[in-house]
Amino acid sequence: MTLNLLLSGEFIVFAILAIVTLLSTWRMVTSRLITHAALFMALSFTAVAGIFLLMQAEFVAAIQVLIYAGAITTMVIFAIMLSGLRDIKSQAKTAVRSWTKSNAIVFVVGLIFAAFMSYLYYAAQLPRAAAAESMTTVSTIGQSLFTYYTIPFEIASILLLIAMVGAIILTAKEAEQE
Amino acid sequence: MSLPIYLPLGLGAFLFGMGLWGALTRTNAVRILMFIEIMLNGVNLNLITFSRYYWQADPEMAARAPIITLFIMTVAAAEASVGLAIILNVVRNRDVIDVDKVTLLKG
Repeated sequence: MTLNLLLSGEFIVFAILAIVTLLSTWRMVTSRLITHAALFMALSFTAVAGIFLLMQAEFVAAIQVLIYAGAITTMVIFAIMLSGLRDIKSQAKTAVRSWTKSNAIVFVVGLIFAAFMSYLYYAAQLPRAAAAESMTTVSTIGQSLFTYYTIPFEIASILLLIAMVGAIILTAKEAEQE
Repeated sequence: MSLPIYLPLGLGAFLFGMGLWGALTRTNAVRILMFIEIMLNGVNLNLITFSRYYWQADPEMAARAPIITLFIMTVAAAEASVGLAIILNVVRNRDVIDVDKVTLLKG
């Protein structure tokens, strides 16, 4: 790594976002309260959305904020609050605080996996990409979504519909039968 | 492109590894769902990074990665909603949230 790279704005922004992502994910694993974990998850998703912006994928950054940081976090927090999960004591001793043997083994395996993959990416000497301006706009994405990818798009909407109906059926109290 | 490609790819790998660690060590069902989302997020990050570095020149190809990411997010959202509904039912009926305490199917 040259000094030139270290001082470039792109690298500095990436470093800040990466540190925020990793720290919030770490806190998400180790925090004892589940509501804290959910909020750290939202922070992690938002930082990753910033990295998507850095990768010039504005559309993905937008749907990341909308779906992950917005919808899924809200849903998890609603589930926690509505069901009183907060009050149910987790039977297991607050998992990661106590470094049992199995926890440590899984941690080391995950760490080795991530480090090995990073080393592979580093050592692979991937060919230099041609510097190109971003050509994807939301209209390009929309055009190919509604022409070439119409059938997958419709299948995705049917999947969402089925998931919605299933979730309602699973959680609705059977009032009319009683 | 001054940022080397292995930095965001490595970040994606670390996100996946931390999600794996959390999903395998925690017993709380809601937390396991949250870590699965983190792992999917790391995968998306890798996909978008490769697309940024190698597919950006061609507009036909460049639109491909956001669309695949959109489908991954759709599946993740569907999975999270149905999973949370199932967890709510388990909590309501059996008053337990730890996945290793739900042993009705054990022979």
